[in-house]
Amino acid sequence: MTFNPLRERGIPLDQQIRNWRELDVTPIDPDHADPYTRCRVITMNGIEVEAVLFSHQFARNCLDPDVQRKLAEVRYVEHQQQKAVNWLLPGGASPLETTIAYEQVAVDLTAWVARMEPDPYLKQAYQFGVLEDFDHLYRYANLYEMVQHRKAEKIVDGLTEVMPGRPTKYHHRHPADNVREPYDRNEASPLSKLHALTIMSAEQQTMNFYMNVGPQYMEPIARQLYQEIGLIEEEHVTHYESLVDPGETWWERLVNHEYNECYLYYSFMETESDPKVRAIWELHLNMELEHLRIACELMRQNDGREPEEVLAPELPNALTFEPNKAYLRELLDTQIDLTTLGAGYVREAHERFERMQEQIHGGEEPPSERVIDEHRERFGRDYRLETEGPHPVARLREDQSARA
Amino acid sequence: MVEQSDEAPAQDVVDLLVEQHALIRDLFAEATGADGRDRRPAFERLVRLLAIHETAEEEVVHPLARRALDGGDGVVEDRLAEEREAKEMLGRLDEMDPESPEFAPLLNQLRDAVLAHAQYEERYEFRYLRQQSTPDQLRRLVTAVRAAEAVAPTHPHPGNESATGNLLAGPVLALFDRMKDAVQQSSRDES
Repeated sequence: MTFNPLRERGIPLDQQIRNWRELDVTPIDPDHADPYTRCRVITMNGIEVEAVLFSHQFARNCLDPDVQRKLAEVRYVEHQQQKAVNWLLPGGASPLETTIAYEQVAVDLTAWVARMEPDPYLKQAYQFGVLEDFDHLYRYANLYEMVQHRKAEKIVDGLTEVMPGRPTKYHHRHPADNVREPYDRNEASPLSKLHALTIMSAEQQTMNFYMNVGPQYMEPIARQLYQEIGLIEEEHVTHYESLVDPGETWWERLVNHEYNECYLYYSFMETESDPKVRAIWELHLNMELEHLRIACELMRQNDGREPEEVLAPELPNALTFEPNKAYLRELLDTQIDLTTLGAGYVREAHERFERMQEQIHGGEEPPSERVIDEHRERFGRDYRLETEGPHPVARLREDQSARA
Repeated sequence: MVEQSDEAPAQDVVDLLVEQHALIRDLFAEATGADGRDRRPAFERLVRLLAIHETAEEEVVHPLARRALDGGDGVVEDRLAEEREAKEMLGRLDEMDPESPEFAPLLNQLRDAVLAHAQYEERYEFRYLRQQSTPDQLRRLVTAVRAAEAVAPTHPHPGNESATGNLLAGPVLALFDRMKDAVQQSSRDES
């Protein structure tokens, strides 16, 4: 791939504002759309939400009113991009269906990033996290069949398996154990920086989504499950944001954000199956090239450095949504028992972990366990979609776990 | 052909109707995804389920919602207007050749209308029924819906959305009446 976003010309900023008609996008079909089109929509929404929130934080820490005005101008366009992207989701899909799609994103996006990540410590962070998202997908899929009488395979369409991962109840770690060590901004590969930003943004959006959607449910088990998994998303955001070097300057961070948006829109333009959605990725790429040019300009003026010093010379391989079933099964087989201690990973339930578990569970089964119990009570089984054979971990196979 | 539920009998009428909404959505997905000659059988299964489902709602659930919900009359009137519109589209589709070029766009239009209608029911009607009615009340109504399934018409007819609208006569309407009678009889037996 020879696309270099630093050399491409985008749409001039003063031509980027869209009118209501242009923002009124046609949503994807809730039952016939490519599940990975929906995953790309959810991913880019998370990226644009991060773009907007980051820019607000930057503006609040910025003393130069000229820079604040420039940030506001670009941010408004980023916000229009968020509207165009997220409004591709159909109103006919329930929040729980969107939730299951969010977890499919978390599984297949994180798995792909883990496979491609060159740094072993960062790779481990993604491998660790993906087994938790994988379990969340299973818990929500069981809730879905209970309240909506539909099976999650209608949403994930056999591309992602649905079965137990690292059990959700063990995700509640002491918050201090969620803080990882950051990469070194001078040593890390540019791809590592893009990966960390992408996964952090996706998890942050999931956290925000669950915070707001959870209380809209009436069923007690649904309300409780969103609380429980919502708190794990807080842990995941802590986990992933701590991978990013906090020593990066604001200008450097801005350039990394804009570059990552170019990378992802370019990737999705290359891999999109729906031509109408592809046209949006292409348009947004052409907007982002200009945002990147402006960010680079600000970096040169204010940081006294050339953006080429921190960015890749050309875009990495296109980030691709594709099944990761064999990879995930291997991780299930080898890493299901891990937890964290300090910035590292261990297999034993250490004292701080045990204490947190006692405090949060209060001697009872958490919602993530009860949702499966209630499902078994009603349907005589849990909900799973195991397309590649029985669960790789013997104790998590259906008959074994029902007896446990 | 309504698939048997694999759930325990503690199911209440809201569970049952939500389950039917899911089935209706699947049948629409099947019918809109089918080509040419496969479309007719998928469409017929859909028509049959829609007729059972809408009659059950009109006879059993909407009357309860009128009584139990704050603003229930207005909510139910909105739903009945949607049902009328859907039945008109259904009637037009039924007279068309499923392989004709006009069929697929109209079927898509019907799908959007019916699935939106189902969402409105779940959000603005069913969730409040759960709050305002006793579990026992909602469980007993299941029998009445099952009675509608037993009569199972093959064609719906516009203008028959409420218990009072009985303006047209004909074989199709007679079928509706039989189903309505069955539901009402079942409700009397239960009370």
